[in-house]
Amino acid sequence: MTPKPVLTRVHLLLFFFVLAAGIAVGLSLFSSASTVLTLIRTATSGLFLPLLLSLIATFLLGPIVSFIERENISRTLSIFLVYLLVAALLLLAAGWLSPHWQEMWSSLRTDLPRYTAKFITLLRDAQENLQNRFPYIESYDLTGHARTLAEQLVAQILVGTPKSALRLGSLLILVPLFTFFFLRDGNLILRTCVSLTPNRYFEMVHDLTSVVSRQMADFIRGRLLEAFIVGLVVTLGLSFTDLRYTPILGIFAGVTNLIPYIGPLVGMIPGILIALVDLGMGAQFWWIVIVYFLIAQVIVDNFILIPVLISRYSNLHPLWVLLAIIMGGKLYGVLGMIIGVPVASIIKIALLEIRHYRNTFALPDTAQEQERPT
Amino acid sequence: MNPFWSNIFHKKSEADSLIAFLRSLAIFADLGRREVSFIAGLVHARRYAPAETIFEGGDPGTGMYAVRSGRVAIFIRHPDGQKEQLAVLGPGDFFGEATLLAPARRTASARTLEETELVGLFRADLMEATRKHPNVSNAILISLARILSERMQAAELEIRQLRAALRLSPPPTGTESDDLP
Repeated sequence: MTPKPVLTRVHLLLFFFVLAAGIAVGLSLFSSASTVLTLIRTATSGLFLPLLLSLIATFLLGPIVSFIERENISRTLSIFLVYLLVAALLLLAAGWLSPHWQEMWSSLRTDLPRYTAKFITLLRDAQENLQNRFPYIESYDLTGHARTLAEQLVAQILVGTPKSALRLGSLLILVPLFTFFFLRDGNLILRTCVSLTPNRYFEMVHDLTSVVSRQMADFIRGRLLEAFIVGLVVTLGLSFTDLRYTPILGIFAGVTNLIPYIGPLVGMIPGILIALVDLGMGAQFWWIVIVYFLIAQVIVDNFILIPVLISRYSNLHPLWVLLAIIMGGKLYGVLGMIIGVPVASIIKIALLEIRHYRNTFALPDTAQEQERPT
Repeated sequence: MNPFWSNIFHKKSEADSLIAFLRSLAIFADLGRREVSFIAGLVHARRYAPAETIFEGGDPGTGMYAVRSGRVAIFIRHPDGQKEQLAVLGPGDFFGEATLLAPARRTASARTLEETELVGLFRADLMEATRKHPNVSNAILISLARILSERMQAAELEIRQLRAALRLSPPPTGTESDDLP
């Protein structure tokens, strides 16, 4: 004979208090969690670029370090040797380039507004042409928009470069340090992460990690080498002409070449623009166009480098490329646009490898399920 | 020493007992100290609870295990659910070495009998080592090939003896002899 529970006023009050307390605790937890998240975000905000650069440097220097290590030299010592080598090369390059560089920089300061002005007149001509043919198009202030955009861009380059030189200083300290530890302990870090998996799945996770990381390393190395060679070919091809700023244009073409489909097109815009302004539509202009399109892109990149360096495996559908560029740009600006596509390719490689592995060996638990009915 | 520098230049002392254990294994008995200390950097030491599954028959096999302490039972699961125990291994024994070089499924299951410490050497690490340190990995591979061919010869002798025994004894049931190649 249990008494029927009656909801008294005290009960209701208690219920209300418990509810209020629960909501308050939830809110405070949520706010503290978001504070912690913002704290983490601020703490790691400056780390993205140095970490990325040192990962790239690790992938590039790793094979050299292993090669030296083969001669019975300890890994730490071989990393120091590689560092000495790289430092010597950089010093040599700086000593050789710095007089040219100074000159180039000062002339670029005066030339940049000229190029943008020419670009804007070209744009205006094109628009007028278009409006003459299709007069019903509403007159849209395209040139005005382009001018403000170009002026912003020039101002950013002229003012921002010395400012970013300051950031470059911190990068110069952080990147070698990070790279050193990645090179020396990278394998150990990966091993420690893998060894956290439970015993039952350890073997499989270990095997899969090694396969995926090898594919990734090959892919990243291949991409970087490809970009370097394309940049070199563009620099060499352009240096036959009277075009100025060939090293800068070559570097730009190389970096943008990291983005498939769209990158090469963006990479050739400044070169063709400068050629148009300085040299006019002569034989040299067409040679420059041929260098960019036919020699660098079609012959060197598509016929030689991509088949040799990069497996078809990591090819992305153009739609994914576009999505990766847009999302990368939203997250990290220009840098995100450049690394978005490689990151997407790496994810694709990992997924394909896991699927391949599943097809080669059935996963442990599914294997058991298959065995049970028989 | 400053912890920062000791992190860069320190020598691992806890690895010494692992090296001593590896040298006591038959498979690495012929190798020098340098090779064994190199292997110590390749292997994974793992702890298992009592009656924990190490692998099941049919799992993807990617390497061998050596028993450092504890005991391991090797058994086959028959389709009717019965277990047939093949061996119980103790400290110093190793198993699963057939899949170290060729990817294959496990042909038997392994389960610990008590608290066990295993040292695993896996194909991925060995292949990485063959590319990065060919001289050391040559010695490891030769000693592995020696063990494997010794086992194969022993197995072949056993098959021959069994065949001879089968031929001598009158076959009471015809079905059993059909299974043999």
